[in-house]
Amino acid sequence: MKDHKQPMMGRRTFVKGGLAASALVALAGCGKKGGDTTTTAATSTGGTLNYYLNNPECIDPFNCQEDQGTQVCFQLFDSLTNYDFNKSELVPLAATSWEANDSADEFTFHLAEGAKFHDGTDVNSKAFKRGWERIVNPKTTTSPSVISYHLALVEGYEELQAGNATEMTGLTCPDDNTFVVKLTAPYADFPYVCSHPALVPVPECSSDFDTFYYAPVGNGPFKMKEGTKWEDGQSIDLQKFDDYYGSDKATIDFVHFNIQKDVETAYREFQAGNIDIAEIPTAQIKDAISQYGESEDGYTITSGKQCLLGDEPSTYYLAINVKDSVMSDVNLRRAISLAINRQAICDTLFEGTREPADNIVPPSIKGYEEGAWSYSKYDKDAATALLDQYYPADASGKRGLSLNLSYNLDGSHKQIMESVISDLNAVGIDVSSTTKEWASILDDYDAGNFQFGRLGWIADYPIMDNFLYPLFYTGNGDNRSQYSNPDVDTAINDARTTVDDSERISKMQAVNKTIADDMPVIPLFYYKHSMVGSSKVKSIYIDPQKKADMSQCELNA
Amino acid sequence: MVKYIIKRVLQFIPVFLGVTIILFVVKTVVPGDPIKLIAGDKALTPEVELQLRAANDMIETDDNGAIIYDDEGNTIATPIWKQYIHYMSGLLHGDLGTSYTRKQAVTDIFAQKYPYTIKLAIVAIIIEAVVGIGAGMVSAIKRYSFWDVLVTLITSLLVAMPAFWLGMLLQLFFGVWMKDWTGGAFYLPISGASGEFQDWVYYILPAVTLAAVSTAYAARIMRSQLLEVMNQDYIRTAKAKGLSRHDVIVHHALKNALIPVVTYIGIDFGGMLSGAILTETVFNWPGVGYEIYRAITQRDWPIVMGGVTLVVIVVLVINLIVDISYAFLDPRIRFGAPKDQA
Repeated sequence: MKDHKQPMMGRRTFVKGGLAASALVALAGCGKKGGDTTTTAATSTGGTLNYYLNNPECIDPFNCQEDQGTQVCFQLFDSLTNYDFNKSELVPLAATSWEANDSADEFTFHLAEGAKFHDGTDVNSKAFKRGWERIVNPKTTTSPSVISYHLALVEGYEELQAGNATEMTGLTCPDDNTFVVKLTAPYADFPYVCSHPALVPVPECSSDFDTFYYAPVGNGPFKMKEGTKWEDGQSIDLQKFDDYYGSDKATIDFVHFNIQKDVETAYREFQAGNIDIAEIPTAQIKDAISQYGESEDGYTITSGKQCLLGDEPSTYYLAINVKDSVMSDVNLRRAISLAINRQAICDTLFEGTREPADNIVPPSIKGYEEGAWSYSKYDKDAATALLDQYYPADASGKRGLSLNLSYNLDGSHKQIMESVISDLNAVGIDVSSTTKEWASILDDYDAGNFQFGRLGWIADYPIMDNFLYPLFYTGNGDNRSQYSNPDVDTAINDARTTVDDSERISKMQAVNKTIADDMPVIPLFYYKHSMVGSSKVKSIYIDPQKKADMSQCELNA
Repeated sequence: MVKYIIKRVLQFIPVFLGVTIILFVVKTVVPGDPIKLIAGDKALTPEVELQLRAANDMIETDDNGAIIYDDEGNTIATPIWKQYIHYMSGLLHGDLGTSYTRKQAVTDIFAQKYPYTIKLAIVAIIIEAVVGIGAGMVSAIKRYSFWDVLVTLITSLLVAMPAFWLGMLLQLFFGVWMKDWTGGAFYLPISGASGEFQDWVYYILPAVTLAAVSTAYAARIMRSQLLEVMNQDYIRTAKAKGLSRHDVIVHHALKNALIPVVTYIGIDFGGMLSGAILTETVFNWPGVGYEIYRAITQRDWPIVMGGVTLVVIVVLVINLIVDISYAFLDPRIRFGAPKDQA
């Protein structure tokens, strides 16, 4: 049995001031959960934090699928575990400890005692079972949740998801504080999956779906403000939950999520003083940094260092249809990747708010290796040499290569793709483009009607597996390259069964290098934060996944 | 009159059927699978995808909601005519379907949104009526004066200015620049309709934006109508009788000059009640216009269908009311009667 018993960290480890020294102080200041308090309890500073949000898809964990809804869920609910990016490890949250069996297909979580929901009822193992089954059960409401895939490996998932059962046999509750999860296949990273803000307990009142959907009742440090609900497209108001079981109770009284339709409008509201934390439009990054200062660690807002530009665990890439007769040539794929000047895209189009990608796995993920994808770099000479070898140019400089690049027009994709096309033209590859709305492009990708096209991948859980398995395992829906390598599949399966963290990561790194040689995708750049806080914010930590540690936020008077 | 109203209401039916049939055809022609969009960037599992299609009447199900497969094990797409019948059947029962993305009844969504559209339309129409009629009167009475030139210039500018651009300028000017200049005296919310301010403050910028172009037209119509009436014989007679300029304008000229202006404002109000997509989008206003815009971008067809259905009904009813109001504004107009009795 692999036992994960760690000192109970606070709900969100955070860094104050962005300085190493103060970071240590802050980490020490995080209280234990549900009992012993060997650390300093946080002092309440009160006040309201006005936080920009784009209208979420959903704030109920039932369908918590994108970063906006996740932000709200994260404040209202505590999942079993939480990933501490500062320590690069998984830490306890609603579970004080957990252990896996030797075959990595059964996990036992020990829950914090005395935890309460916002309605005063107890948080126990049955509440976790209820919350997870609520996501998987297609009869929870009129149509199924789209995020039930998180639990696809849990025993009994298929029966419940098909509507042929009323519960998952793989979820058992030996007592109120013990929650056992049995999987159908080994998956040592499963505790990381349990850090997802959707995999949380729900109280019995969640059976009133319509009410709960707009005013969820959770076990987190904030609850919905009395008498309010999600005002669709307008606002969500939270207030401090006084009976929160952890010692790191919220230091502020209220959170007002100011919902705006886009980053530009939100930034105008920020400039008008109506929002405390907003995204910065790309065109205004330089002005914002000059006016508000840049955070030292990229994730902590403090006075005078208010712009966040830290890395995010997400990658922007080109998917290549490896079944296409032209693109099936690995040497062509490598040459295309070598011909693209990623730095120029990041500098010219994004004012440095993106980082050139040298790996499909971003640097904020444990196991990332710099330069692991040896063809994911700009080397025009190498690209030309490869092309000369396999696609020699004629007298007019043409190589007889005519490719088609697909992308959706919204956002700034057009400029990025035009830059890519220009780079490929420079090495003698003709590229036309197919531009459609996102909905139509998705149809093309799923039908395999494309040669190569742009996509992005945002990690659900900050682990290598969450990049390699969905994007490259044979037959996965997100494997839009239609890449299939039996060796890779076998190696991923092997890594998933490896309980030891470092050994598993080593295996994942080896798989990653195999995939890198095949180049089924071309990583272009990593996303970064581009956020700013007002002078009202004394300190707040926003992790690489954009989850804000609002409970430990401090406001200036 | 009653016969006329019944006749007009009956005319609603073909118009309504025509619009909804066109929408259903558009829905099938427009590329992009709305079900795949529900999951965002990530792929749906095949099982969930099928369940979503079944829940949204895209594939055939039995009475228990179980998916029906053909002999080869494939699902069967629900024919468009059957979807239409289901939709109309639901509509007759007050059910506009359920949003693909938000899993909420469309009727509930519009019940939340419509009050915002109505309130914004009322504030905008008040601005349009007061400022438009007032400016037109001043312009006509002070013909060729500085004020006349000013009104003409401003109305020309407003007519030429797109609403979304004016809205963004107002946001920048009052929300950002004026705040810096006045040390926060103009502390306006520049978008949205909820927060820490007094309720009425939220209406200022969107209502001004929504009313701007119509106000300019109202002022121009008012000016031209008043000038025309002022040249009528009966006005000369009134002046000859020795009535004061004030009495001539207020009691004789204004009443007649107002008829086309009031008609224009009435029809415009109907348009505003249908939702102002541009203004609501610029100001993040939670009305029906912005909701329909969002639904179109997300291919959330139940909301698009429900929104357009609602708008069609509102426009038809408002047009009917305006037509009927002619009879009250001008007693010479009678509906449904032979011409020689008119």
